[in-house]
Amino acid sequence: MRTRISARSGAAIVVALPLALTGCSAFGVGGDDEDGATLTFQSLAFQDSTIAATESIVEAWNEENPDIQVELVQGSWDNVHDQLVTQFQGGTAPDIIHDESADIMGFANQGYLADLSPHLSDEVTASVSDEVWQTVTTADGEVVAAPTLLQSYVVFANTDAFADAGVEIPAGETLTWDDFQALAAELTAGGSYGAGWGMQQPTAAVMNLALGFDGTFFTGESGSMEIEVGENELAVPERIHAMAHQDQSLDPVSLTQSGSDVLPGFFDGKYAMYVAGNYVAQQLVESAPEDFNWAVLPPLAGTAGATQAANPQTMSVAAESEHVEEAAAFIDFFMQAEHQAALAEGDWLIPSSTEARELVAEHTAGENGWEAILASGESLSAAPFQSAVNYPQWKDQYATPALQQYLADEITVEELRQQLVDGWAELG
Amino acid sequence: MTTPATTSAVGRNPFSRPLQYLALLVYMCFLAFPLLFLLSTAFKTPRELRSPDAGILPQSLTWENFTSAIEKADLYTAAGNSLLVAVTTTLIVTLVSLPAAYALVRFRTRLRAVATGWILLSQVFPFILIIIPLFLLMRNIGLVDTLLGLVIVYAVWALPFSLWMLQGYVAAIPVELEEAGAVDGAGRLRTLAKIVLPLLAPGIVATSLFTFINSWNEFFFALVLIQDPDMQTLPLALARFVGAEGQVQLGQLAAAALLACIPSLVFFLLIQKRLTAGLLSGAVKG
Amino acid sequence: MTVVSPPLEERPVRRRRRGFGGGSRDAWPLVLPALLPVMLFSVYPLVYGVLLGFTDARAGLNAETAFNGLDNYVELAGNELFWNSFKIGLIWAFSVTVLQFLASLGLALLLNLDLRLRWLARTLALVPWAMPPVIIAIMWQLMLNPGYGPVNQILPGNVNWLGEASIALPVVIVVGVWAGMPQTTITLLAGLQSVPAELNEAAAIDGASTWRRFWHVTLPALRPVAVAITTLDLIWNFNSFALVFVLTAGGPGGTTMLPSLFAYNEAFRYGNFGYAAAMGNVMVVVIGAFLYFYLRGQMRRRLQ
Repeated sequence: MRTRISARSGAAIVVALPLALTGCSAFGVGGDDEDGATLTFQSLAFQDSTIAATESIVEAWNEENPDIQVELVQGSWDNVHDQLVTQFQGGTAPDIIHDESADIMGFANQGYLADLSPHLSDEVTASVSDEVWQTVTTADGEVVAAPTLLQSYVVFANTDAFADAGVEIPAGETLTWDDFQALAAELTAGGSYGAGWGMQQPTAAVMNLALGFDGTFFTGESGSMEIEVGENELAVPERIHAMAHQDQSLDPVSLTQSGSDVLPGFFDGKYAMYVAGNYVAQQLVESAPEDFNWAVLPPLAGTAGATQAANPQTMSVAAESEHVEEAAAFIDFFMQAEHQAALAEGDWLIPSSTEARELVAEHTAGENGWEAILASGESLSAAPFQSAVNYPQWKDQYATPALQQYLADEITVEELRQQLVDGWAELG
Repeated sequence: MTTPATTSAVGRNPFSRPLQYLALLVYMCFLAFPLLFLLSTAFKTPRELRSPDAGILPQSLTWENFTSAIEKADLYTAAGNSLLVAVTTTLIVTLVSLPAAYALVRFRTRLRAVATGWILLSQVFPFILIIIPLFLLMRNIGLVDTLLGLVIVYAVWALPFSLWMLQGYVAAIPVELEEAGAVDGAGRLRTLAKIVLPLLAPGIVATSLFTFINSWNEFFFALVLIQDPDMQTLPLALARFVGAEGQVQLGQLAAAALLACIPSLVFFLLIQKRLTAGLLSGAVKG
Repeated sequence: MTVVSPPLEERPVRRRRRGFGGGSRDAWPLVLPALLPVMLFSVYPLVYGVLLGFTDARAGLNAETAFNGLDNYVELAGNELFWNSFKIGLIWAFSVTVLQFLASLGLALLLNLDLRLRWLARTLALVPWAMPPVIIAIMWQLMLNPGYGPVNQILPGNVNWLGEASIALPVVIVVGVWAGMPQTTITLLAGLQSVPAELNEAAAIDGASTWRRFWHVTLPALRPVAVAITTLDLIWNFNSFALVFVLTAGGPGGTTMLPSLFAYNEAFRYGNFGYAAAMGNVMVVVIGAFLYFYLRGQMRRRLQ
């Protein structure tokens, strides 16, 4: 047991004394690393398969690098932002940080993330497209993270429901929004809806899918971005709104729920189609009833094609880490194609690296919807909102409530536009 | 206490009795229904839960939800942490506030006014105002992410409450008893141990119950102060479990939730009689 | 639940006790162990927190903090979202407190009667208290789920309880009442039992109706306890966090954004620590002012 407490403050001792008998280690005090070369890696992996993949990568690294041991700690997507704010502020941030690009740019601006560009190997740099690198590069050209896995929104289909309704499962490169809307209407009958879509947190989905209509929302430099909400930006919410409230082919209740709340309804046959992040495929495989048959439809396309905003998961190094170089080396190792492929398969996400994508295609032979999922990954690109400094606050305080109200048919599209624009102005 | 004040009079109206039972029944449905729901959900199989026409009651009892919830959410570690924190906090708070409460009631001291003021004040301030500086303070002395840090915080914030309660119980003991003990030649410590302590017992039980349950249930401080999953308390583990996959695994979630209530429920059952008596006598005399 | 009583009434007995106890010098060693950690871990953060509300403290590596006087409050005055959340907080706190009081009073009156199965009722009345607020929130989320929740299976109609902006706050208030009933009920029950039976009997013999006896005998005797517990309830409710944080996280459309959630987000999501502390200060001032007038009013009433 180390006497860290006494070294820091005599005051704590007064309080700690009665506890001495209980043994400090039981309270998590002391007993820390003695040698300096232990790195902590806070992973957000939550599906069993991905956790296993992450663990095996860390093990492989630890075996190859006895001097630089990596210790895995578990974080959670739910509160990663709040947690990182606290950890950075408290100086207790892990060395290696797992997050997503839309969330980390604020931290980068506050100076909490180290520049990785001098440390990453050429191989890794070359394996990821410039478009995706852009999502993790600050205005000053610092690369504050390595992009690992990408998510896209896909349409899952209950193939039996399609068969029962006599509707053919669409094939082809893409599925246009018009076709999607028509499909949903066709599949709506007798108390079941054509589609269910968990939109409790609607902003990310709307922002990402808006790119398919050239809806970019923001223009200008990262520090002084201006908002623009026009027809292109509003296309996605307007279509969803029309499906829910005019066609009544999309369950309006599902729009107020989280994705996982809607999933049981999809299993029940309440919805013939279910829109969600592609990672949900893992849950379909794991927990769908045995007699449940499903497929992934081609990527949704707007007037500008099947483009969606790339919001990759990221691996960063804390600027205050004592071992920036070593941590970056681990990230480089983590980014190798075979590792990315293993992680991607575990999470049903799309690897940012081209080689890894090829590996996944090879391993899975495109089964279980992988073909469509990988296809949707081809058209992911950077969106301006990712580098807008005040984006997270605008999203929470203005965009999310406004979109929730609009999708619940409580405000008009014009009011929605006004709230989005005014909100941004308010944050100045 | 055994013959409640209103009984005899109210009983005269022949209609009132059935109405009273009806009202009580409505209350019980409101208060207990969620618990029944948790119970039934926790014993249902995933198939039953998904099927829309399954009844309210499970068809058969399955313990599977409990075992997998414990395993998946790592509830063992979390429950161990919670128990350690809650028990330690309760011990410290009781040991510290007991003499203090005694002194504040029995001794002539200005501290009394100060203590009362602080007790009220400490309740008014929203946690948000305290948590930031507290977090910085804990960081500076290296207690972020430690259970010791949690114990200190919980103890400090449970103290006012505990002091307040205990003062009432101490005051309720007639000072003449102590004086009589002193006349008999017993030393002050002996008087305290032989006469005061036994009389205080129900009060101490009630007070520690408060402290224990509040620490066991606490969420906000833990959310901010604990980041390391190995150190997380039960409420944290459950909240994270829900975020991750709880919504899909309803049965497991209900099982986990139920498990988290067990210590407090057991506590209640064990001291149910004593608790009501303790709370009541203290309050009556206070 | 003695908690509520000592400061309200100075008992005459105590004056006689002084001869037996010691003075301040004897008290110090006994009080010190309680005082020291409190000074360090609660008074210090409190003072610090209040002062923080007058600075521009924000997250950032080596970010510098400076006092900025009333800037935070000027900015806050124009922050519509905050005042909206403040309004929601007041509606929430008052509704929950009032409903909780009425419901608990009714239950306490019933539990005070010599009904059968009273032991069971008393234990069940404590159930919500045995659950961590987080569990309560999760449980009600499941119960109110529009798809598979039992509430919709039992009640007619298919209501989206937590998802519809117009009803989310009332629903959350009901959950709040449920969660807080045990403490209030037990306190009031204790208060009821302290009402001397003779008073009621005397009134009954005089031919007073049940209702009149309740109004003229029971209620006045209950007043000190009722004032104390409603005061505490109001403070607790206004500052409550965990329940709503998990239940709705402030949604849908910000309709359940309590001020404590709002300030939490300001600090821990956007990193504006000084501004968030300023919000906390405003909350303290408002609730403090309200308590001052409420308690003063009650004191006057009692003196009359």
